Amino acid sequence: MDLETLLSYDWGVMAPEFIILGVATILSIVDLFAPKHFNRRILGWIGLAGILAALASLFNLAGLEATSILYETFRLDSFAKAFKILLLIGSALVMLIAISYEPKEGMQEYKGEFYYLFLTGLLGAMMMSSSGDLITLFVGLELLTISSWILAGIRKKHLPSNESAMKYVVNGGISTAITLFGMSYVYGITGTTNLMEMGPTLAQLANSQYLYILALSFFMIFIGLSFKLATAPFHMWAPDVYQGAATPVTAFLSVVSKTAGFALLVRIIIVVYLSTPAGTSGLSAMTPLLVSLQDYIAFLAGATMIIGNVVALRQRNIKRLFAYSSIAHAGYLLVAVTALSAFMFDALWFYLGAYLFMNVGAFAVIQIMTGSSDREDIGEFAGLYKRSPILAVSMAVFILSLAGIPGTAGFIGKLNIFMGALITEPAHYVLAAVMIATTVVSYFYYFGILTQMFFRPAASMEKINIPIGLVIAIIISVAATILFGILPNIGFDFLHTNFNGFVDLLQ
Amino acid sequence: MENAWIIPLFPLLSFLFLLLFGKRLKETSAYIGMLFTLLSFIYSLVVLFDRFSNPTYKAEATWLTIGDVQLTAGFEINQLNALMLVIVSLVSFLVHTYSKGYMHGDDRFHVFYAYLGLFTFAMLGLVISPNLLQTYIFWELVGAGSFLLIGFYFYKEEAKAAAKKAFIMTRIGDVGLLIGMILLFWQVGSFEYDEIFQAVEAGSVSAGMVTLTAILIFVGAVGKSGQFPLHTWLPDAMEGPTPVSALIHAATMVAAGVYLVAALFPLFTASETALMVVAIIGAVTAIFAASIGLVQKDIKRVLAYSTVSQLGYMMLALGSAGYVAGVFHLMTHAFFKALLFLAAGSVIHAVHTQNIEEMGGLWKKLRITGPLFLIGTLAISGVPLFSGFFSKDEILIAAWAHGNTVLFWLAVIAAFFTAFYMFRLFFMVFSGNARSEMKNVHESPSVMTFPMIVLGILAVVAGYVNTPWFGTFLGDWLVDGNEALGHGHIEGPAWIMIVATVVSLLGIFLAWMMYGKRSISRDWLSSRMPIVYGILYNKYYIDEFYQLSVVNATKFFSYLFHYIEKFLVEGIVKGITGVVQGLGRIGSKIQSGQIQGYGAMAFVGLALLLVIFAITGGYLK
Repeated sequence: MDLETLLSYDWGVMAPEFIILGVATILSIVDLFAPKHFNRRILGWIGLAGILAALASLFNLAGLEATSILYETFRLDSFAKAFKILLLIGSALVMLIAISYEPKEGMQEYKGEFYYLFLTGLLGAMMMSSSGDLITLFVGLELLTISSWILAGIRKKHLPSNESAMKYVVNGGISTAITLFGMSYVYGITGTTNLMEMGPTLAQLANSQYLYILALSFFMIFIGLSFKLATAPFHMWAPDVYQGAATPVTAFLSVVSKTAGFALLVRIIIVVYLSTPAGTSGLSAMTPLLVSLQDYIAFLAGATMIIGNVVALRQRNIKRLFAYSSIAHAGYLLVAVTALSAFMFDALWFYLGAYLFMNVGAFAVIQIMTGSSDREDIGEFAGLYKRSPILAVSMAVFILSLAGIPGTAGFIGKLNIFMGALITEPAHYVLAAVMIATTVVSYFYYFGILTQMFFRPAASMEKINIPIGLVIAIIISVAATILFGILPNIGFDFLHTNFNGFVDLLQ
Repeated sequence: MENAWIIPLFPLLSFLFLLLFGKRLKETSAYIGMLFTLLSFIYSLVVLFDRFSNPTYKAEATWLTIGDVQLTAGFEINQLNALMLVIVSLVSFLVHTYSKGYMHGDDRFHVFYAYLGLFTFAMLGLVISPNLLQTYIFWELVGAGSFLLIGFYFYKEEAKAAAKKAFIMTRIGDVGLLIGMILLFWQVGSFEYDEIFQAVEAGSVSAGMVTLTAILIFVGAVGKSGQFPLHTWLPDAMEGPTPVSALIHAATMVAAGVYLVAALFPLFTASETALMVVAIIGAVTAIFAASIGLVQKDIKRVLAYSTVSQLGYMMLALGSAGYVAGVFHLMTHAFFKALLFLAAGSVIHAVHTQNIEEMGGLWKKLRITGPLFLIGTLAISGVPLFSGFFSKDEILIAAWAHGNTVLFWLAVIAAFFTAFYMFRLFFMVFSGNARSEMKNVHESPSVMTFPMIVLGILAVVAGYVNTPWFGTFLGDWLVDGNEALGHGHIEGPAWIMIVATVVSLLGIFLAWMMYGKRSISRDWLSSRMPIVYGILYNKYYIDEFYQLSVVNATKFFSYLFHYIEKFLVEGIVKGITGVVQGLGRIGSKIQSGQIQGYGAMAFVGLALLLVIFAITGGYLK
C-alpha cells in the first residue's frame, strides 16, 4: 500500500476512534512523566472529555452514507454508529464512576493506567462494532479483552482482584481459542476474511458437507463469543470476576463489554449465517442457515435466563448478585437474537441502552455503599432510605427498571423483546414463557434489595458523602431510565430517523 | 372532561412533594396530602356531572411504536370510569383526613402520606385507562403502592411477611392477566378496549380464544380482588395500618379486579363459559369467606373475610350478566366497608387491641363510633332501607334471572352468614360489660370521626340511586348507549327481596341471641314482655340447637376450608418456591470457584450442542 492510496481514504469516518486513541496516548504519556505526587484524577476528567468529544464527532458523522475504508476492513454503517453511541455513553458513565473510585488501600501508583485502560478497552469495543473483516474484528476483540484483563486485576494488593484477573485471563484464553477455531472454518470455506465478500460466496454454496462445517463454525463462534456476553455455557467466570474486580471495572464489563459482544455477534451471524442457505435442495435451500439453527440459540437463551435468575436468588454479595442479574439480562437479549424479528435491531439497541443506564446507575450506588470498606453484603443497604432518601429512591428506580416494572426503560425493553418473540412466524411461545417466568423469579432478589433499603433499620446513621462524579452519573441514569420508560418513542424515533432501519448492514 | 387526565396527577404531586420535603414538614404533610386529594375529588365530581350530560370522552396519543404496531396512551371517561373516579378520590380523601388522627405521633408520618399519594395516583390512573396495556401498567403500580402500605410497619415480622405475600399472590394472578392480554393483542392487534370489543362482536376472534382470554384476565382479577383460591393475602394484609385497610381493602385495590371484569364486560358476555367461571368463583368465594368470618376473633380479620365475601358477591353479579348489580354493589360496598374499617380503626385506637373477646361495652363510651359502626353493620347485613340492601337485592335478582339457582341459594346462605357474623362482631364489641382494664377509653378526635360521619351518611343513602321503588337512575345511566352491558334493571320476583330480608334478620336475631342477650337480664324481659319470655324460654334450645347443628357444621366447614387453604393452596405455592430454590442451590454449588470447571463447562456445552446438531439436523441425517 503506497502513501497515495493511504491518503486517499476518508479517514474522517474514523474520527471517533482517533480521538479515543489520541486521548489514551496522551494520558499514558502524561502519566509516565508526571511527578509521583501529581493528582491523577484530572486524567480521568480528560479521558471523559475525550469520550464526549468522540461522541460529538460521531454525531457529526451521523448523516453519512455507509462508508468503508482500508480495503473494506473498517465499516461505518448505521449499525456501527448506533452501537458506538451506546458504547460511548456507557464508557462516559463508567468513567464518571471510575473518577470517584477510591479503594481502601489507595491506588495512587496506578491510577493513570486505570483511566486510559478504559479508553483502550473502549477503542477495541468500537473497532468490534465497526469491523468489516474477521482480522480487524479479532484485533478489536483482543484489544478489549486484554484491557479488561488488566483492569480486572488493577487492585494489585487486593487478593480477590488478583483472583478475578487470573480467572478472566484463563477463561478469556479459552474463549479466544474457540472463537478463532470457528472463524478459521469460515475462512477455509469462503477463502476470504472479509465479511462483505463472504456473503455472495456463501449464498451459492451447494455442497452440503460445506454447510455442515459452516454450522459447526457457527457453534464455535457463538460459544466463543458467549464469553463476552456472559451467557450459558460460558457464563461461569462472570460471578467470580465481577465480585473481585473494582466496581467501575465490573460496570465496564457488564455494560460496555457486553454491548460490544452483542454488536459483534449480531454482525457476524447476520452477515455470515443469514446469507447461507440451510441446505442444498428444496425448502431448506430457501431458509437461511441461521433460521434453521434458531432452536439452539433459543435453548441457550432459555438456559441463560434460568441460570442467571435462579442462582441469583441465593446470592448475598451484591456484586455477585448483579453478576447473575447481568447473565439473566444477556439471556433476555438472546431472546431477541433468537426471534430474528423485523425489529430485532430496535429491540436490541433499546434494551442495551436501557440496560446501560440502569446498570451503570446501580453500580454507581453500589460503589457508594460498598465504598472503601469492601463489605459487599446486601445487608449494607439496610436502612438506606433513612440515611439518604434520594440515594435510596434512585437505587429503587434502577432496581425496578432491572426488574422490568412498567414506567421504566427496562419494561419497554422487555416488552419489545417479548413482542418480537411472539410476532414472528413461528412464534416462540416457550421462550416467551420462560422469559416471563424467570422475570417473575427475578422479582424475588430484586425486591430483596428494596426490602433492605426501605424496610430494614440502618446499622449506622453515618452520613453518606457522594462524590460529584457519581452524582452526575446517578442523575443522568435516573433521568434516562424514567424518560425512556415514559416516553420510549424518543429513543425509537431517534433510531428510525437516523439509522434508516439498518438496511445498509448488508450493502 | 377534556382535562380529566389531571385528576391522577394531584396525588402524584403530593407523593413527589412529600418524598422530597416530607422530612421537614413532619405532620404538616397531612394537609398537603389532604389538599391534593380534595382537588382530585372536586375535579372528579365535576367530571361526573359533566358525564351526565355529555357523551363519553376519549383522548389518545401514540406512545410507542414497535415495528408497525402503534401503542397508544391516553384516557377515557365513560360512565364506569367517571363513577370510579369519584369513589376512589372520595374514599382516598376521607382516609387522608382520618389518618391525620390515626397516625398521629408516628415517626414516619410523612412517609405514610407519601405512600398514600402514590397509591391514589396509581388507582386513579387505572380507572381512566383506555387500553389494556395502560391498565396493566397502573395495575402493577397499584400493587407496588399496596406493597409499601401493607408493609408500612416493616419492623413487625408479620407486616413484612404480609406485604410480601400480598405482592406475590397478586402477582400470580397478574401473570394470568398478562398472558390473557398478550393473547388478545395477538388476536386483535390492539390493546384498545373499543377495538377488542368490536373484534369480539364481529366474531373475528374464535369462541375458544374469547373464553380463554376472558378466563386468563379473570385470573388477574382473582388475584387482585382476593377471590378463591388466591384470597389468602387479603386477611394477612390487615397487618397494615387500619386506614390503609379502609382504602385498599374496601374501596380501591380489591375493587380493581371487579372493575377490570366490568371494564371488559363485553368480552365476558361473549363467552357463556367465562361468565359461568366468574359466577361460580364469585359465589364460592362469597360463602367460603363468610363461613370463615364466623369464627374469627380479630376485628380486622372479620372485616377482611367479609370483604372477600362481598367481592365474591360482585363477581357473582358480573358472572350472572348483572353488570349494573356488580358495579352498584361495588359502590355501596366501598362506602359501608370503608366506614366499617375506619370505625374499627377508631375502636382499636381507643382500646389498643384487636381481639374482640377482650372488648365489650363500648357502646356507651364511643358515642359516635358505636352508632356509625351500627350503620355500617346494618348496611352490609342487607337490612332494608340501607344501601347494602338494594345492591345485594340486585345481585340476587341477577343471579336468579340468569338461571344460576344453586349459586343463588349459596348467595342467600352467605347473606345469612354475613348478617350473623357482622352482628356477632357488633355485639361482642359494643354490648355487654366493659372490661375492667379498659377504663381509659376515649372517643377519637373529630378529624377521625368526620370521615366516618360522611361515610355513614353515604352508607345509608347511596342505595337510593338505584332502587326498584324510586327508579333505577344509576343502572339506566351506566348502560346508556351500550347494549353489550345488558339492562339497567332486571325485574325479579318480589319474593327474592322478602327472602333476603328474612335471611338477614334471621342472622341478626341469632347473633343477638348468642352475643347480645347477655346484656339483658331475664327479669327485665319476663316482667315486661311475657310473650318474648316464651321465646326466651326456648333460648337454650335454640342455643344448643345452634351449637349442635349450625355452629358445628359451620365450624367443620370453616376448618375444612382453613385446612384446604393451609395445605393445598399454600402447599402448591411452597412447592413451586421449593423447586426454584433447589435449582438455585444446585446452581451455586456448581459455581465452585474452580476455574477449570468453568472452562470445562463451556467445552461440555459446546460438545453437547455439536453432538445434538450432528444427530438431529446435521451430518448424520
